[in-house]
Amino acid sequence: MRPLDEELRSALRRQEPPAGFVERVMARLAAQAAPRAGWAQVARAFLGWPRLRWAAVGAVACLVMAIGVVQYQRGQRAQGEMAKAQLKQALHIASSKLNQARKRVQEIDRRSPQS
Amino acid sequence: MRISLTRSATLMMFLVLIWGGLPAYGQVARLQLNNLEKLSKKAAEVVDVTLDGPMLKLASKFLNEDEDSEAAEVKELVKGLKGIYVKSFEFDKEGEYSEEDVEAIRAQLKGPGWTRIVGFTSKREHENTEVYMMVPGSGESIEGMAIIDAEPKELTVVNIIGPIDLDKLSALEGHMGVPKLDLEKGKAGQKPASGKPPAKEQE
Repeated sequence: MRPLDEELRSALRRQEPPAGFVERVMARLAAQAAPRAGWAQVARAFLGWPRLRWAAVGAVACLVMAIGVVQYQRGQRAQGEMAKAQLKQALHIASSKLNQARKRVQEIDRRSPQS
Repeated sequence: MRISLTRSATLMMFLVLIWGGLPAYGQVARLQLNNLEKLSKKAAEVVDVTLDGPMLKLASKFLNEDEDSEAAEVKELVKGLKGIYVKSFEFDKEGEYSEEDVEAIRAQLKGPGWTRIVGFTSKREHENTEVYMMVPGSGESIEGMAIIDAEPKELTVVNIIGPIDLDKLSALEGHMGVPKLDLEKGKAGQKPASGKPPAKEQE
């Protein structure tokens, strides 16, 4: 046989893989094939933890309450400003009519011969 | 046993009467102005103010935010008031309201406690201005006031419940961003109408 043939046979001779080789390859394949988790999955996984779930519920409740308080305060302010304007208008009319009555009484007093 | 039941029944009736009478006593200075509602349709301009206890408190609270002296005057004036009710109608032409409309208000002011302190009637100008005060038996405090001003094209009714200082109310005109009307003040030595002057009437 020629030396080249001998070299090839030596290089290509059957060899057994080292121990655990198959498992390592399979594990690496599995890791590469796994799809990337979406935000929904991340959130689901996050909320899967009971304490965090309750914390999220509490935060949402606080937000809703805060919005409610702000809306209530806005309503109260609008109502208060309207009441204030009405009060001023009512007092202005009352004051004006009272002064009108006063003026008329004074006119009568002036015209009256006794005064 | 029968005596005990009779006593209980009497006591219950007494309490019911007192309980029923209390709100009526508190509201005695409040005029019923519902009969004027119909005039809103005919009027060119309507001012309808209804400020009862809670709304007055709310308005006073918001007056705190105004730091001017007028707000302080208004706040001082409305302190202790239980209600302010104003209905004012301005019409484009004469004869849009009837004498019966005014008489329905006037009839309520003939009730106990009410005293007319100013009554002005001008047949020439068809004008009528009346000022009434609600002064209960003791005569020490004013429990309310009412003003009726009836002119050919205007009808105004003011009803204020609670102790009101007429001098302070009179002085408010010209404040609150509204120019003072050309009204004469009292001559030297003349008593202002804030006390209890006799009713004047010009026919």
